[in-house]
Amino acid sequence: MMDKKGLDLSETVWTRLDRKAGAIVELTMRQLRHRISTWVVLGVGALLMALLLSFYVDSVRESFEPIDNDGDSEDNDGDGYTMGQERKYGTPDWDPNVFPGASIFIPESDIDWNDAERTFSANKSWEGRAFFEARWIDLEYSGEWWDTHIEWNPDASGIPDLTDCSEWDLDEIYETIWRDACDLGDQDGNGLTTYYVSGKWRGDGEVIVPEGMYLNWGYWTEEVYVEPEPPEMYINEDGIDCFNGLSLRGEGWEESRVDCPSDVRLGGSHGFDDDGDCLAMNDGLGDDDNGNGIRCDVQWVAPNGVVTDIRSDDLVDEDPDEQEYIGELGHRTFVIAVGKMAFVILLGLFIPLFLSLGLVRDETENGTLHLLLSKPIHRAEFIVYRLMGYLAIAGTYVVTLSLVVGLIASLLGPGDQIIRLSDMPVWLGIGLATTLVLAAYGSIFNAMGLISPKYGVYLCIVFGIWEFMMGSFSIVNPNWTVASVSISHWALQMIDAMVLLAWPDTIQWAEMDNAFGIDSGLSVFWQPPVHTLGTASAGVALLNSVLVLLIVSVAWVFIAKSVFSRREIM
Amino acid sequence: MTMQSKEPPAVLIDQASKWYGQVIGINDLSLAIDGGVTGVLGPNGAGKSTLFKLMMGRIKPSQGSIRLFGVDPWANTSPYRRVGYVSESEKLYEWMTALDFVSTLARLHGMTREEATERSSHVLDFVGLTDVIHKELGKFSKGMRQRVKIAHALVHDPDLIILDEPLHGCDPLARTSIMSVIRELGEQGKTILVSSHILEEIERITEQIVILHNGRLLAIGNLHAIRDLLDKHPHRILINCEDPRSLAGLFIEEDPIFGVRFPREGQLEIHTNNLSAAHSILPSIVVKSKQKISSIENPDDNLESLLNYLIKEGQ
Repeated sequence: MMDKKGLDLSETVWTRLDRKAGAIVELTMRQLRHRISTWVVLGVGALLMALLLSFYVDSVRESFEPIDNDGDSEDNDGDGYTMGQERKYGTPDWDPNVFPGASIFIPESDIDWNDAERTFSANKSWEGRAFFEARWIDLEYSGEWWDTHIEWNPDASGIPDLTDCSEWDLDEIYETIWRDACDLGDQDGNGLTTYYVSGKWRGDGEVIVPEGMYLNWGYWTEEVYVEPEPPEMYINEDGIDCFNGLSLRGEGWEESRVDCPSDVRLGGSHGFDDDGDCLAMNDGLGDDDNGNGIRCDVQWVAPNGVVTDIRSDDLVDEDPDEQEYIGELGHRTFVIAVGKMAFVILLGLFIPLFLSLGLVRDETENGTLHLLLSKPIHRAEFIVYRLMGYLAIAGTYVVTLSLVVGLIASLLGPGDQIIRLSDMPVWLGIGLATTLVLAAYGSIFNAMGLISPKYGVYLCIVFGIWEFMMGSFSIVNPNWTVASVSISHWALQMIDAMVLLAWPDTIQWAEMDNAFGIDSGLSVFWQPPVHTLGTASAGVALLNSVLVLLIVSVAWVFIAKSVFSRREIM
Repeated sequence: MTMQSKEPPAVLIDQASKWYGQVIGINDLSLAIDGGVTGVLGPNGAGKSTLFKLMMGRIKPSQGSIRLFGVDPWANTSPYRRVGYVSESEKLYEWMTALDFVSTLARLHGMTREEATERSSHVLDFVGLTDVIHKELGKFSKGMRQRVKIAHALVHDPDLIILDEPLHGCDPLARTSIMSVIRELGEQGKTILVSSHILEEIERITEQIVILHNGRLLAIGNLHAIRDLLDKHPHRILINCEDPRSLAGLFIEEDPIFGVRFPREGQLEIHTNNLSAAHSILPSIVVKSKQKISSIENPDDNLESLLNYLIKEGQ
């Protein structure tokens, strides 16, 4: 059967519709290809990605190098011993005079204000106030400027040369002499000079401590040489330790050690203070910051077989191997950050601003619209096909770009295999999320160009700023309800969900990042998807977000259609 | 055309008005057109383009109704399957070749790529652009562009063809070829509407005319009938010659001539009540005078004077 035009009746309405769509999509693509601004915006996008990849090489890859996360390989006081070694020996890392093997003061006894017996005779190191009948004085005894060591001012023959206070009354002596000493002469005629001393000194003799005054004494140990340990010992010295089962302190714990980010989800008490710095805390009692009753351990909380929280005691597993941990974390952070910031927010906003704002409006302004509208084609159809043409270019571009960037990043990334195959679904997800954002923004910007041909671009810029802000807020806090009014929020949700589907252990990695101070920034850029409708399933969140983005796109096509259908075209 | 007689007419306009704020584009216009070539005449601003835009569903009538093949073009695009429209707009996709352009637009009629290419090369051949089908439109002359526009309007073999000032800005050669294309289409039995503000152009294409003035329908019918009415009205003929006074003496004796004037040196203006009779005696008098005549003009034989006449008649 043929109709009066001689066309076969097997040609249905649909095949004709299809051909019309094909023609306008193709026309739109060719028009976009003939515009310089298209190439500029797509070129700038590619340039941005090249820049980010060079940043990856420059700084993310660098973080695979061993890093001293806890800073204990540093020698802060310059005494030749690292903080880690000083911690082990219980010496401070801020005092150059106190270091492993250094001579230390051992206090022995004192005379305080209410002791009855107020004289004592010995060869000691003294500190306080007393009358001292000296048999021998260590004229060399000195210390830091802030210490109260007495300056004896010896003359050529080694006799201290001090203020003569033999004629003073006691009150005058007590008031005048502070951090100093004075000469009272040989008081009892036994040939030994008596001094009044206020401060630190060392010597042999008899001390008389006046009522209400205080003196203590002791001795300095012999200095012993301790071999300084190389700083490398304190880099990556305390890795993340996990144990199969709960035999943490039991027999054979060495054998039960397993990799922490393993397929087996681990709950309970893990961790081992390899470098002993936790065990040395609290005078050797160790730290139990997480309060689970086990000192120097790490509590892995895994309620449903997924690690959702990691609480570690201080200085346990605090310096893990970067190659193993920060490499993976840094890489994932890079992928997520690039996907969210560069693809969804930047490309997602700028491509439609340049390519979709004038999709229909420019045809009106160029005066070429009459060519198309004198054909049997509805204005609504026209909008849809134009948007399809724009999406064919912009969508192909972002998906291709995301896969190319993904491939290069996966070649650069950590891991034993040459290409990280598990990255690819994430990059594909990024490409698709960006495409849906392009559809939604494209639909909105096109509508705005139609609503106000003159001021539409300003509407779009204001809208773009709103989207940018809401996108940024959504990255930091996806739970914030206001941000979910924005479009970028849902695309970012898509990426969050896709990440969890492709890398199911990301929650655990994020927790490890926080717990062990790896500082990769993963939890700044990624949080588990929130729009799961109570199922906690990433798949639901993904579908949910896709649906929202599609509904927004279609809704704005209808708005554009109702504006455009009523418009008279001069 | 028996089939068409059962159908609603190609164009049916019923008391349509269109105003833009205070400005009136079309004022209470009723018109039915079906078959043949119809010239739509009117000075600039008479409402020709507004009328066409109403027919093409680009604008909505403020009052009254427009129907193409019985369907309202503002609400429904289905009549455009049978309509070809050549807009007054000069804008084309400059980066496309002629074949590309016509076939892309042909595909909007639901043709396959192959059909579209075949039909397009056929219509481009018909409008005489066979040699340049692979040339970019940006490099086309005005006349060639008009012909491409006509080709795109013809590609789907429409029943109604609307041409808005198709001869505007074309050189004489292009005019002639476009006119012959239009005449040929008319002979094929299509309904064709051609607008122009130049009487002579329309006269060479068709006798059936519609005259618009200030958005109103001033006259409709056969151009020659209207013209005969006009001819019986006092008319001027301007003759540039060597000795106007001796020539005037010869003319004044003739019956259709009732007066002469000498507006300028070497110029004679004769007044007549019957233009065709005056024109028929003119050659013999010129021969009799043995003078060298440099030109003969009919200053009243244009659209403006036709309009002036029709407006006066209407009052």
